[in-house]
Amino acid sequence: MLHRITTLFAEAKDLNTHRIHNHEFTLEVAYIGSLVDESKVSDYILVPFTKEEQSFKYLVETNPSFKKIEDPARWADNLLRGFILLNLDNSIYTLDAARVIRNQTPIAEVESSVQGPQTALSEDLVDSINLIRSRYPSAELKIEEGTVGTVSLTRMLLLYDQQRVDPTVLANIRGRLKEVSLEIIGAVGELEKELSSPRRSLFPTMIITERPDRVARALSQGKITVMLQGSMFALVLPANFFDFMHAMEDKYESMWMTKFLISLRYLSILLTTTLPALYISVISYNPELFRVQLAFSIAGSRSAVPYPSFIEVFLMLFLIEALIEASARLPRYVGSTATTVGGLILGQAAQQAGLVSSIMIIVTSVVAISNFVIPIASMSYAIRFLKYPLIVLSIFFGVVGVAFGMFVYLTYLCQLRSFGKPYFRFLDNITKKQGDIGQVNAR
Amino acid sequence: MNRYVVYNFIMVSLLNLMLFVPSILFQYRYNGAVSSLITASLIGSLSGIVYVHAMSKFPGKGVPEILNERCPRWVSVPVLLFLALMWVSTSSITIDVFAILINRFFNPDANVFVILAVMCVICIYAASRSTLSMLFNIEMMLLLNVPLIFLLLMKAVGSNQMNWDAIRTASNYAQTMPKLAPVAAAAFIFTGYLNMSIYNRAMPPNYKFKRGLLLPVVGVGVLAISYFVPIGLHGVDGVSTYLYVWSATSDSLAMEYGFIERVLFVFLILYLNLTLVYTSSGWHQAMEMVKGCFPKYKPSIDEHPIPRRNYVIVSAFAIITILALYLLNEKHLIQLTSIWLIVRMFAEYGLVVWIVLLSRLRRESA
Repeated sequence: MLHRITTLFAEAKDLNTHRIHNHEFTLEVAYIGSLVDESKVSDYILVPFTKEEQSFKYLVETNPSFKKIEDPARWADNLLRGFILLNLDNSIYTLDAARVIRNQTPIAEVESSVQGPQTALSEDLVDSINLIRSRYPSAELKIEEGTVGTVSLTRMLLLYDQQRVDPTVLANIRGRLKEVSLEIIGAVGELEKELSSPRRSLFPTMIITERPDRVARALSQGKITVMLQGSMFALVLPANFFDFMHAMEDKYESMWMTKFLISLRYLSILLTTTLPALYISVISYNPELFRVQLAFSIAGSRSAVPYPSFIEVFLMLFLIEALIEASARLPRYVGSTATTVGGLILGQAAQQAGLVSSIMIIVTSVVAISNFVIPIASMSYAIRFLKYPLIVLSIFFGVVGVAFGMFVYLTYLCQLRSFGKPYFRFLDNITKKQGDIGQVNAR
Repeated sequence: MNRYVVYNFIMVSLLNLMLFVPSILFQYRYNGAVSSLITASLIGSLSGIVYVHAMSKFPGKGVPEILNERCPRWVSVPVLLFLALMWVSTSSITIDVFAILINRFFNPDANVFVILAVMCVICIYAASRSTLSMLFNIEMMLLLNVPLIFLLLMKAVGSNQMNWDAIRTASNYAQTMPKLAPVAAAAFIFTGYLNMSIYNRAMPPNYKFKRGLLLPVVGVGVLAISYFVPIGLHGVDGVSTYLYVWSATSDSLAMEYGFIERVLFVFLILYLNLTLVYTSSGWHQAMEMVKGCFPKYKPSIDEHPIPRRNYVIVSAFAIITILALYLLNEKHLIQLTSIWLIVRMFAEYGLVVWIVLLSRLRRESA
């Protein structure tokens, strides 16, 4: 066995192969030193084998941690996952001794909450399952294991409540997972891009979340969760547009304020997508749209600006996007400097220098701030892009162009499906007795 | 799923303003408009309720399947093509008129054909989606726009510029006999139920239409507002001086608080959304009618990806629309519309009677 394994692997210093003898047997052991817990190697194998208190063969056969494998093709695979391979009397056993480096009991930071649970999912699948099972103690919870990525062979779990899950969605996701052909899958975001069904979709059709309580609630609604080893985020599907507007906090806080906050989020989406485009169309196309006083004050505020409004908008939007990007990528200590310099000094100075109007500064900050109101980061990113096509339309058609663009967006949302489920529709109380549209004739 | 029937009904009834319905009615305000309104309400509501009821006897089927099953192909194919023409024409007139309106009120410097072309591209995109997406789209657009439209209409009704005396004067002409053209125009407000001809495919199998009373209530309400409010604001005589009566009417209102003062702009944007969704819905249905003519076509309400022939058929409609605006001016358009409304009304009631008869026959044979 050992000879075969050494030919299988490239020359690697951490590949350990031993052949040891006691009075009864000759034992061959192979493992990758950096992946396994060395104490387990000695506790389970080396010590009992050399002490010979009982027959080692008996021990291996009775202890269920040792599993027999028949197929030599799976040796490399097992070794790379942190398993130990044993050859005893010409039969091969494996023992899981993996040592996984991971973040210890992480705190939810991306989707933080004030009064909700604070723990986030772990980068190790076992810990994550622990968190989910303790929140969703149901015998119906089914966990399927698989790998994705032809080189990375990332371990992946598919979780769902087998009684509540929609079988068509399940068949759909299984089929899509089979078609994933990337070499390396590093995070669930990458998997999401591969699974989503127009590939270049404008909106995310799956929720990426780090909160175990969101996962548990989704499971109870019959949704499916996909988790990857090494990523502390889970993929929840199918999702509709309105799920993305929901923070978990909404469930834990006072009802009236959360209703208000949810409507605030929708208003923010409207503002962050349309405001720059409306600015262009009001300045350059339809100044008569606003009441006279307002139109005058807008015109007055950009009297010093020497170029057309869309250049002004592009200038400011470039600045703000660069600023957001810079503060996201910079180390935390420098980040605050960037925002201060960019936001306060540049904004103020640009306006005083007559490069942009003061109203444009307000527009830019409203656009940036209302974008961050959206609770799920992937949706926030998607929405951030939406303003640019609208700007282009407003350059050519003014207010009407913005209305055109919004109509197209709504149409796009209405035709989007998340694993065969409608993505954007008004869900009134649909009863089973009444039935729903689209139950028949769908293909 | 009663609400989807009601959506279609409301959409078409609110859209009457774009098809010159008020202007046609005002031409006859001294000789038979009011009595025509009453006649049209009666016929329209009755046939609406009867038709939706008859269609629910054919669960999951649209008019193309019903006709193909029950009639020989040489009957069904011309009929379907005519029905397609019926939907395309109203939608295309609407979008043509709206392109002119945008050109007149929003972008006077822009070329009307460029605006129309962009609107057509948008409608091609929206109309070629699946039937299910189309229904979701109608629902969303109505939920977002109709409350605001309703607010504006209420604002117009409650305006203190309103001259109720003029409305009374106009309603005194109720005794004169109804005429064909105003009846046809007013009956258009009630034709939303006809969209069930295609959308019935999406309805659940055990579906029964229950809120039949909503149709006359909504229809009569919209009809009364779109006829009497302009009269109240412009006077019985003055009202006929406008071609786009409702644009002038909404421009006579002002919002004293907030950013936007002239109601006209809000009104036009709301109606723009409504027009786009109406046109795409009309083209979509016409497309389904045309597809129903192919012998091997199997209807499906939610196809992904979108088949190529959807794009081809709808693009043909768009080309017809652009050509129509190129060849006709507004005067021709309004004449064409008033004639077409009459033809369309007879076709509509013919279809209603036919489908009702078929549903009866089916019940007896079963």
